[in-house]
Order: sequence, then C-alpha cells, then structure tokens
Amino acid sequence: MKRIYINEEYCIGCRLCEIYCQVKHSKSNKILKAFKKELPDIISRVLVEEIGCNSFAIQCRHCSDAPCVEACISGAMTKNPNTGVVICDEKKCVGCWSCIMVCPYGVIKRDLSANKAASKCDLCFGEEIPVCVKNCPNEALKFN
Amino acid sequence: MIKKTDYLIIGNSAAGLSAAESIRKIDRKRRIDIFSSESYFNYSKPLITYYLSGRLDIGRLYFKDKGFYSNNNIDLNLNSEVVNVDSKEKSVVTADGTEVKFNKLLIAGGGKPIIPAIKIKIEESAGKEGINEEILTEKTLKKEDKRLKNQAVFSGDLMDNPEKVLRQICGVFSLTTLDDAAALKRYVENNRIDSASILGGGLIGLKTAEALLELGIKVNIIEIADRILSVSFDNTASEIITKKIEETGSRVFTRSTIDEIYIKKRKITSFKLRSGKKIPCSLLIIAIGVNPNTEMLKDTGIKLENGIIVGKDLKTSEDDIYAAGDVVLSYDILTDKLKNIAIWPLAVKQGNIAGINMSGGKASYSGGLFMNSIEILNIPVISIGLSSLEGNLSGDIKIYKDYNHDKNQYRKVIIRNDRIIGAILTGNIERAGIYAGLITNRIDVSDIKENIVKEDFGIIQLPADYRKHLVVGDGIEV
Repeated sequence: MKRIYINEEYCIGCRLCEIYCQVKHSKSNKILKAFKKELPDIISRVLVEEIGCNSFAIQCRHCSDAPCVEACISGAMTKNPNTGVVICDEKKCVGCWSCIMVCPYGVIKRDLSANKAASKCDLCFGEEIPVCVKNCPNEALKFN
Repeated sequence: MIKKTDYLIIGNSAAGLSAAESIRKIDRKRRIDIFSSESYFNYSKPLITYYLSGRLDIGRLYFKDKGFYSNNNIDLNLNSEVVNVDSKEKSVVTADGTEVKFNKLLIAGGGKPIIPAIKIKIEESAGKEGINEEILTEKTLKKEDKRLKNQAVFSGDLMDNPEKVLRQICGVFSLTTLDDAAALKRYVENNRIDSASILGGGLIGLKTAEALLELGIKVNIIEIADRILSVSFDNTASEIITKKIEETGSRVFTRSTIDEIYIKKRKITSFKLRSGKKIPCSLLIIAIGVNPNTEMLKDTGIKLENGIIVGKDLKTSEDDIYAAGDVVLSYDILTDKLKNIAIWPLAVKQGNIAGINMSGGKASYSGGLFMNSIEILNIPVISIGLSSLEGNLSGDIKIYKDYNHDKNQYRKVIIRNDRIIGAILTGNIERAGIYAGLITNRIDVSDIKENIVKEDFGIIQLPADYRKHLVVGDGIEV
C-alpha cells in the first residue's frame, strides 16, 4: 500500500498540514468557513511535534498489525484487507478510548464534538494524495 | 446438530472470533464450528453496560456483523454450552448431550462471575412485631415458599451452593452477559428503582455504577480494598473518581463488604455491612470479579491452575487443544510470570495466534501486560502495567507525577531500573499509548525522565533509535 513518509529534516514546523487536514475534515471543506464557524470542533488528524528547531508531522501509520484494531471493543476500527487503510467508523465508535491506550504513536485523538468518537487519519479517503502531503511546502511529507 | 468438525471453537467473543478469522485466512476449506452457550450471534461484552444505560440499543452491540459468519464460512452453534471435553477421544459434549468430535479445539469461553458465599436471612412477613430473622437453609426456604404458595422450591445443596441461592433471590444480579444486562434492565424499569448497591468497586462495578447513574439511580459502592479500582488505580486516581461519584449523591464504602443479606418474599430488602451498618436495598449487583471458566475441563488432563496454562504457541498441555483470552494464564512481560490478564486486546491477539498455529501456520505470543481504559462520569482514565503499586516494588524505582487538581488531570509514570513499568493518565489521556509502547519494548528512558509526565510529552522526546525503530518499520524516515 501507499504510505505517508516523514522527512524530519525538511519539516519547518509551519503546521500547514494540520490546517489542511482540519479543512478536509470539516463540514464545509472551505478554509474560511471552517475556521470561522466550525472551530473548535474540527480536529487535525496529523500532529506536528516541535522542540526547538526540530519538528516533524506524524499521523496514523496504518500499521500492518494495527494494535488499535485489536483493541477496539465496538468493531469500529477496521483495517481494509485490500487497501491496508485503517479506518474508524465514527458512527460505530463508542468512545472507550482503548485505541488511544494502545497506539504507540499517540496519533488517535478524542473527538468530543458530536457523539464521542476516536478521530484519526483516514488517508483522505477519495483524494489521490492526502492533503497534508499535497500542501506541505517543503516535501517533509511524501506519499508513495 | 453436527457430530464432527475440523476446528471446534468454544466461545463466540473476542478470542474465539479472532481465531476463526485467522484460521480461515490460512485454511479456506475445512469446517469451523463455534459453540456458544448464549443466544446472540455476537456482541461485545464490554458494551453491556452501555446497553443497560440505554446509550446503545441492542443492534449496536455486535462487533462483527452478521455477514462475518457466512463470509468466512463459519458455522455458529448458539445455545450450545460445552459441558465436557474429552482430550483423548478429541470430542466435546454439549449441555443437551450431543457429542461432537474435533481435529483441533480452541477453548475461549472467557470468564464466570465470582459469587461469594453471603449469609442470607429471611425476614418475617409484615403483621408480626419486629423482624424475626432466620438463617437460610433449605428447610426455611421451603417454608417460605409454602407461605408464598409458590410451587418453585430452591433445589440442590443450598448451603454448599451460595451462587444458586443468590441467583434465585429477586433483586440480586451479576453482570457479565447480555442476558444479565437485559434482566437487570427489565428489573430497573419494572420496579421504579431509585437507588442500587454494587458489591465490588472494580471495573465491572464502576461501569455498572456509571450506567445506573445515567438512569438517575444513585449507587452505594462497596469495596473491600482501601480504594476503588485498587488493581489499576493509585490513591490519587481513585480519589478523583470517588469524589466524582460522591458528587452525584452516591456513596462509596471502602474496606467493607456485605456480611448478611435480608430477604422477604424472596426479594432482597436490605443488607448488613461488615461495620454492622444496615442498608435498605431493592437492587444489589454482585461485581467482585470474574474467574476463568474452566469447569468443564476437570479431569481432562489439560493443565490448569486458576486458568488454562498455555505456551507461547497458545497450545494447552494436550495436543491439538489450544486456549486463548480471559480463560488462560499467559505470559506477563512485567512480572515474567504466567498470569490471567483478562482484557480485550490480548484476547484478540491470542485468538489470532492460536488460530494461525491451529491451521498449520506458525506464530508465537510474545506476552502482554495489563492495561485498561475506562471513562466514569466524563473523566477518562487509562492505566497501563504496574500502575497501582507504590510501596512494594523492588529495584530502583522512580515515580514521576503531575497533578492539576482543578482540571482533574493527573499523570503518573513509574520507572524501574530506567524502564517504564506503569502509567496512569486521568482527564487528559491523549497519547497514552506511547507509554504502553515504551513498556512493551522495554525502552531505556533515563534521558527523558524529566519530561515524561509533561502534557506535551510525545514521540519527539523519545530516544532517537527507538523513534527510528518505531517509525521506519511502518514508514517514517527519521
């Protein structure tokens, strides 16, 4: 499967990946509307970590033996056997946070806006290239 | 009913279904039969308290959809409790007497609630002065039955079988199956219950408490240890949750248990705490724990302690018989011993590995550790590893804590000989899994101790080589 690769040394910590991720997962899909009307309910599924001048962006690794899928008590978290993408069905998720307990990357967040559900990278389902990768100005994220 | 199968799986939950799925990936042809003592096509046991509270309706409790069985060509035998296993003849017997032969067997029948022996006393019916207490025996119960003109009598050896007695008293429940939850739900709805008592302040007890509180029912929680959730919570985490429970008008009794239960017309009326205090009660839930369900394995030759002993291949002491999930004693990486760690993620993992080995593949179970995620009254808590122990650990122990009292945010990490062995996160639980990963991979954290309980603790602080190992395997270049 295609993956998002992280180039730590190219990341400048601009956080554009987070912004485009939020817009992509907003209701309006429009940057101005999303940031004016939908905050704080839209959560970025990519996370920029930064200490001093070191930074990188990290999102779900879509692990081959995904511990979040193993830990899910509701059947919401599944790995597509064909594409390898790990997806959380937010309608089925009950918000027990078992996935957060086991994800060694710490890239699953709590979405408390509507019904409590785990929120994570879906590799921008429907897009050819995930928006975090597409909008990274320095190629610190790559998709191949 | 079939008489012969290739893969026979006892248990239709996390471990059993995970095994069936992995068998089917390797062996597309041979027959798989799942035997379940229950009548539901599958449901997630940890969700039954959500059903009780009404947060989820019954149609949302399944974790594998109906197509799972047909798509994987699995035969599901419901209402078919396995009561006997013959490891020499390679067969099982179900409750209705049917014998079924197998090539490979997986025992994944989970646990059974522990029902303590509590003294039960009958209160005389109204009309007489005062309360005439009689200790429950078969004779007095029969007398009581006659008085009630009730044809049903308590059967069996009553005093030897407190479980049987408790189960026949109206208003006393345990809560480990969907049938339990449904019965409890009906009882609550039909009896206008406004308060309930829960014996046991562990996970099941507290999840039950949460559900009842959501229904507007106040609870008394009775816990024998010095704090609730003593297995996985330390004092501070327990205090945060206890305070929250007490804010609802509910009560938590610690260092206490129920000595006597009083019944009238077969219905619970009150109970007496160890302190002598008598508490009126029309609903009591017994939630003191669960034991591996191994009753049908006596005299089978399968090596048992307080669970089925399995090796790294998840095979029992008998050839062709495997076991997985809450019913086994498996390798605990933190204590280096075989332990019963009855948690969902390990049941799935073990089921998967057992399934691979049963169908001719090769996989090894590298061990696991206890962890749990629970949310009570909107405060999420995640505990991982040896999180509750403070005083009785050997080795070079260092404990790091951060506590924001006003926000109910608490984070603690326990380090032994430079490796994390336990963590608790309360309130802000995000990124908890990073600690679980550091424990599992036994990472030396001596250089990052100072940041370890900070709110912004993340991957970037981790030792460079571990970060690389973490990320390269699944696609990050560092």
